[in-house]
Amino acid sequence: MVAGKKTKKTHESINNRLTLVMKSGKYTLGLKTVLQSLRNSKRKLIIISSNCPPLRKSKIEYYAMLAKVGVHHFVGNNNDLGTACGKYYRVSCLSIIGPGDSDIIKTLPGDH
Amino acid sequence: MVKFLKPNKAVILLQGRYAGRKAVIVRSFDEGTRDRPYGHCLVAGIKKYPSKVIRKDSAKKTAKKSRVKAFVKFVNFQHLMPTRYTLDVDLKDVVAVDSLQSKDKKVTAAKETKKRLEERFKTGKNRWFFTKLRIANHGTVVGNLLCEIQV
Repeated sequence: MVAGKKTKKTHESINNRLTLVMKSGKYTLGLKTVLQSLRNSKRKLIIISSNCPPLRKSKIEYYAMLAKVGVHHFVGNNNDLGTACGKYYRVSCLSIIGPGDSDIIKTLPGDH
Repeated sequence: MVKFLKPNKAVILLQGRYAGRKAVIVRSFDEGTRDRPYGHCLVAGIKKYPSKVIRKDSAKKTAKKSRVKAFVKFVNFQHLMPTRYTLDVDLKDVVAVDSLQSKDKKVTAAKETKKRLEERFKTGKNRWFFTKLRIANHGTVVGNLLCEIQV
């Protein structure tokens, strides 16, 4: 889709924005909570890592389609997503509930 | 960000005795109640799907084959897979919260539901709802569901 350099740049910015959410906004990590708050429709945006198992990925995407929530496929696997969140464990799906820094929510769905 | 677990939504049960069966949400309790401190809903579903009717069948056979057996149940949201389909069957007066309190109330509620669902089946609408979910050998319920729903 885009050349290597461009993805690197947007990748960096996504990382930056994620750290901002970690600090200021509300988020949940992990499949269970992601689905739970999808049902409550408390989510604003969902981020899925690239090596999330395809069945799980389609499940989340389907729920998000029903709930009309944006889904963003993170460029990188769950190790990277965990690191981007500043955690020492792997994260394969994460959802952003509160706009701590509302920049993220506006830019990412447009990106996708 | 729309809430989609609303009444009249078609849903598939994932766990329990009725796993793989299609159901309709009659009432949803998003915050939960004191007995059930989790989000759950009251569903009415198909216990036994109507069989396939062919042109050769006599009227008696057709009637027999088009029977639907229904169930009424409280289910946790976690054990449901929502679909993009809805089923506009008026089940609110039939199936109330207290109809699951005692056995006979449950039976009468199920019978009424059965009647309404059979009527709907005979009109030929909502055909997706009345077809059995085909489960391939290697697949799980969710996997097959997603294939079916997205088609």
